[in-house]
Amino acid sequence: MADFDFNKEALGNLKLEDTGILERLIDFEEARKVHLAKERAKKDKRMSLKEAVAEFVQDGDVVLDTGFGYVRTCIQSHFEIMRQGKKNLQMIGAPNTNQSYMINVGCVRYSHNSYTGAEMRGTDRNYIRQFKKGKVTILSEWSHGGVAQGLKAAQLGSPGVLSKQMLGSDIVKYNPYIKVIQNPMRADPDPVAFIPALYPDIVFIHAQAADKFGNAYIYGPTVNDLAGAAASKKVVITAEEIVPEMDMRYNKKGNIIPFFYADAVVELPFGALPGSMPGYYYWPRQWWEKLMRFAGPSDENMKQFIDEWIFGTKDPIEFVEKLGGAKWIIEARRQTKAAEGDNEDIDFTYQEYRVDNDSGIFY
Amino acid sequence: MKNDAPANPLEIFAYIISTQIKDHTIVYVGTGLPMVAGILARNTHAPNITMVYESGGQDPIQGGMPWSVGGPFTWRKSPIIQEMAYSFGQCYNGYVDIAFLGFAQVDMYGNVNTHMIGSDFHNPKARLTGSGGNNDLTSLTENMVLVGLQTPDKFPERVDFITSVGHLRGGNSRKEAGLLGNGPVAVISQCGVFDFEPVSKRMRVKSLHPGMTFEIAQSCTGFELLKPEGEIPMTPMPSPEIIHTLRTKVDPRGVFTSLPTA
Repeated sequence: MADFDFNKEALGNLKLEDTGILERLIDFEEARKVHLAKERAKKDKRMSLKEAVAEFVQDGDVVLDTGFGYVRTCIQSHFEIMRQGKKNLQMIGAPNTNQSYMINVGCVRYSHNSYTGAEMRGTDRNYIRQFKKGKVTILSEWSHGGVAQGLKAAQLGSPGVLSKQMLGSDIVKYNPYIKVIQNPMRADPDPVAFIPALYPDIVFIHAQAADKFGNAYIYGPTVNDLAGAAASKKVVITAEEIVPEMDMRYNKKGNIIPFFYADAVVELPFGALPGSMPGYYYWPRQWWEKLMRFAGPSDENMKQFIDEWIFGTKDPIEFVEKLGGAKWIIEARRQTKAAEGDNEDIDFTYQEYRVDNDSGIFY
Repeated sequence: MKNDAPANPLEIFAYIISTQIKDHTIVYVGTGLPMVAGILARNTHAPNITMVYESGGQDPIQGGMPWSVGGPFTWRKSPIIQEMAYSFGQCYNGYVDIAFLGFAQVDMYGNVNTHMIGSDFHNPKARLTGSGGNNDLTSLTENMVLVGLQTPDKFPERVDFITSVGHLRGGNSRKEAGLLGNGPVAVISQCGVFDFEPVSKRMRVKSLHPGMTFEIAQSCTGFELLKPEGEIPMTPMPSPEIIHTLRTKVDPRGVFTSLPTA
């Protein structure tokens, strides 16, 4: 195993004494070994989500969050990881919004923090509370671009990249993986940040479609998922639809993830819920508002919310039923198609969730 | 709201932000008021701008107001949606002219904090979102505009955590740290528009909104504001035509420009 030399100032600031926990994220040799041992043949890799989580997620894994917070994000896979009681995971992603509620049940214990929140919906008070109680330890602070470059470095096949991001900021003082060095090609002073290639242990990527071998296409924002698929040691593709391989060759739309990365393929309609899925469904917006405004403020409320929505459903189908079933599907499909310009414009106004006015409707 | 009602503070805010946008530029925006401002600029004085979003959407067909920076309205029929690494690479390589971001705190040198409030990282008074793309844009983009509310807590002498480097410790320190571009060129608040004195890089009043005085702006600030030479100009206010455009073409449902009720 490689012998790493972390940014000591950051180790001190983060109060991290055992650096062993940091090593797996940048352990290129291990990632290459795992990649070399993967199935090469085009094999039918389909299985259920339950099987994929049971077989591939191990306690303590570094999990890469995908999509963009709640856009084409593998949230139903996170829910299954929670249902199976996986423990002490490290979460990385840009953003990594969804680590927050996973901390409450002991599922996520460590954070490589880039952005935790729901944009205009408000501050994530749950994450703050768990952090202050010591339920989550921040192992590193990142900008979105820093995570993106670390994953891209892995996809490029490079030990790391030299970046102009994060320089001079306190982020580098709280990131053991980043070192500021002099640009070796310049004679005049030119500080650059070295960002190592990142190799998460496991990634779930929710695609619009995949074939049974694991070729997958995604459209809408790809974000970091092409790099994440190339980098991660274990790759689970979940997809709204399973299509014939010929569809990948002739009818592709968007970006393709090649089959040889994939360890498992899961047919998982509504796998991005409660996030949105380009081409398929818009957000249940009030669900997020309820998460932030009702569940966020106390552990009791969060427990009630998790018990109801995550442990109280066994799969995305039950989740859809809770949202409103077929009526919800029709509305969510109309909304996303209209927003994407594939349908006649509709009125997007809605009644925001308020704690004192819970309509029980989740559009 | 009746269409001929006087402009409300959010509409005025959106207009002032829009005046920072020059025509024939590439503009990197977040959701909320910066996006309203970008679309307003395109519908008024800057019809040839290209808007770019952090989720990678580029030049979308105008639609409604997005619920998220990754929402379909930010990439509606975009000819290309960039991966995140490339979207920031676009800033590095000189294909973004101006970007707009918010803050929890901004200090006298335009350094931004979106991480935490308090002095102890491990036991903060409040933990905030973290960087997101804030650091990346501020590090790389040619011109940065910061938008937010002004109070002494939000405008401290030093931010509690430097998420994004503005002018760092003033003078040449931003450039010496290795960062690109001009850094923050403007800060827009409910009090006025601020720039940075060219040598010291300290925050300076550029114009004040109607009804504001230097003393009021100073009382909303946790450090000593610099005064420009001569009389302080008043921030130009939107014409009725511009407000009409805002209400009919840009944000007709008032998603980001109507004041909260009840």
